[in-house]
Amino acid sequence: MIQVSSVTKAFGPARVLDGVSLTVQVGEVTALVGPSGGGKSTLLRCLNGLERFDAGEVRVGGVTLHGGRMPKEADLVALRRRVGMVFQQFHLFPHLTALENVLSGPRHALGEKRESAEPRAVELLKRVGLGDKLYARPATLSGGQQQRVAIARALAVNPATILFDEPTSALDPQSSHEVLAVMCDLAAAGQTMIVVTHDMGFARQATTVHRMEAGRVVRSGQPADVL
Amino acid sequence: MKTAASLVALLLAPLAVAQQPELRWGTDPTGGAPFIMQDAAGNFTGFEFELAQHLATKIGRKAVLVDGTWANLPQQLTKSRDVEKGVDVVLNGYELKRDLCDQFGVSRAYFAYRMTLLARKDDASIRGWADLKGKSVGVLGGTVCHEYLRTRHPEADIQSNEDVANVMKLVADRRLPATVQDSPAAVYFQKEYPDLHAVAQADAPGYYVVYFRKGDTDLGRQLDAAIADGLRDGSLRRIYEKYGLWNADQEALVPLLDQPWPPPFEAAVGSPWPRLVRELFQAAGMTLVLAFASFPLAVGIGLSVAVGRVYGPRWLNPPLGVYVEVLRGTPLLLQLYVLFYLLPVWAAQLHPALGGLFSPLLCGILGLAVNYSAYEAENYRAGLLAVPKEQMEAALALGLTRWTAVRRVVVPQAVRIVLPPVTNDFIALFKDTSICSAIMITELTRKYNELYNFNRSLILELALITAGLYLLMSYPLGVLARYLERRLAGDGGGA
Repeated sequence: MIQVSSVTKAFGPARVLDGVSLTVQVGEVTALVGPSGGGKSTLLRCLNGLERFDAGEVRVGGVTLHGGRMPKEADLVALRRRVGMVFQQFHLFPHLTALENVLSGPRHALGEKRESAEPRAVELLKRVGLGDKLYARPATLSGGQQQRVAIARALAVNPATILFDEPTSALDPQSSHEVLAVMCDLAAAGQTMIVVTHDMGFARQATTVHRMEAGRVVRSGQPADVL
Repeated sequence: MKTAASLVALLLAPLAVAQQPELRWGTDPTGGAPFIMQDAAGNFTGFEFELAQHLATKIGRKAVLVDGTWANLPQQLTKSRDVEKGVDVVLNGYELKRDLCDQFGVSRAYFAYRMTLLARKDDASIRGWADLKGKSVGVLGGTVCHEYLRTRHPEADIQSNEDVANVMKLVADRRLPATVQDSPAAVYFQKEYPDLHAVAQADAPGYYVVYFRKGDTDLGRQLDAAIADGLRDGSLRRIYEKYGLWNADQEALVPLLDQPWPPPFEAAVGSPWPRLVRELFQAAGMTLVLAFASFPLAVGIGLSVAVGRVYGPRWLNPPLGVYVEVLRGTPLLLQLYVLFYLLPVWAAQLHPALGGLFSPLLCGILGLAVNYSAYEAENYRAGLLAVPKEQMEAALALGLTRWTAVRRVVVPQAVRIVLPPVTNDFIALFKDTSICSAIMITELTRKYNELYNFNRSLILELALITAGLYLLMSYPLGVLARYLERRLAGDGGGA
């Protein structure tokens, strides 16, 4: 379970997050929607410690991040192993193959041996439809393929929750469709997900939708009520 | 009327001096005592300096000192005397040698020297030439002493250096067991280093002569006459005695004046080429050792410094910045001097055994590594900063620790980005290995200098072979680097 309580963050005079509170239950798909600059992506980045906040609390599993305090690295690492992240611009490691990208979490974060981690990494790439691109470098893949590798990479460390930061905004409709299909498949399998999205089609399939404007959650509820 | 005449004479006097022809004599003022040196007031002195003044006056000329590098002085005679630093004669402890006599005019001997083996008084293991087996013996590279050791005592481990004073100091500091020097230097430096003594001398004397252009026969005759007069009338004796250099060998120069000059040389045996080429290849091997041992170290240190500056704690940045600026802001030559000549002395004060650790090769490798680490640190810093910060975020988001993210994600990308400038530096270092000759390492450039000192008729061939060897070694490095760039670029798909 993820619990966000009264999180506030300011960049200078601008309040990007202004007392945000929300709860995400296990197995839920949560969509964050709203206009650009509303604080959705910043909130997402606060949830796995990439962004610090000024006040409030974020609880993920046994780890609590406090506003205005420098978290310990051990806490951050523990948190991030529970909360994976998929970025708008993929951010694959360009010097590694697709398979090595997926293996980097198990090997370098969890300390698994390559031999023991590889079968599952291969399986994950097959699951996102890239069984034939194991040894391709990111630069040779399309945007949609890269984003699917990024999803497999996030899944490889078995996070309880995966955060998606506008995962299809940088993609053409076809690629976007491929990525959304993978996400729907994950949702159907019971993966807890928090998704910042402008794609109303996907948001309609979420368990809960929060609409954010000017750093606040202005409406929360089932898709039909919020959208 | 009388006053007018003396006024005219007075006015013309400086003109007369100015019109007195010059005797432009080439010497290396850094070459050392007692040949030529500077007194406390900064004025030149030394037995050859006084000799040059004496000879010039005798032949009605004004001595003008033209400074050069000792090994290259005879080359000045192949150019016109009217160029910058042009000379009439070379007068700087140059021995009577066949290759120089073939190329240049040669005067009568003005000094007879003997090669002298110097060691420490408290070192009982060196009592004569026979004790040199396996011992390191310092010499001035490319001199007759060097050649003497090479041909007569190949069992000795010859360490060639460019500076007499440095070699003497190394023996006095117990870092070299012995050195072979011409007698003037041996006499002079025994005063400076009282712990040293002359263990043995060569059986026969050698001769210092003045070289001039072959066409300057008049000048040659005048110099011969001035030297002969000076030896007979005691004026050279008065000069040499000031420096404690007059002895029976100098007395024996007088009867030599009636013998034909130069005396016949021993016939050369066989072609020198097999040995010359073998020695050049061996020296090229040393160049390779220096480059391949030091550059990986430079990369390792440089990368660590860069990571420390970009990702380390904030307090680490200023000292690392100072490290980089000091090392790339001071010459490599100076750093090698500090490492090889100064540091061991300080270290020996801490513990006597420490002084012995600083061998030339170790100092050469460390010096190159440390100097180049400063440049590599900046290369890698640029590389680290060029990796998008999102790469770090993506790695952190996977649960990697910051340090693991740096090591596994950021550094591998930075290394690829800066491969071209790093390769460039490797090739530059490759050529900078020649600076290590200052600390008694005989690498390719040094060997070339030594060989041409004794084979001046082959100077062009030797230069071409040396350049060829450098190219042969550095070109594959360039090819290897381009291969690595392609392989590591990562945009070629596949492996």
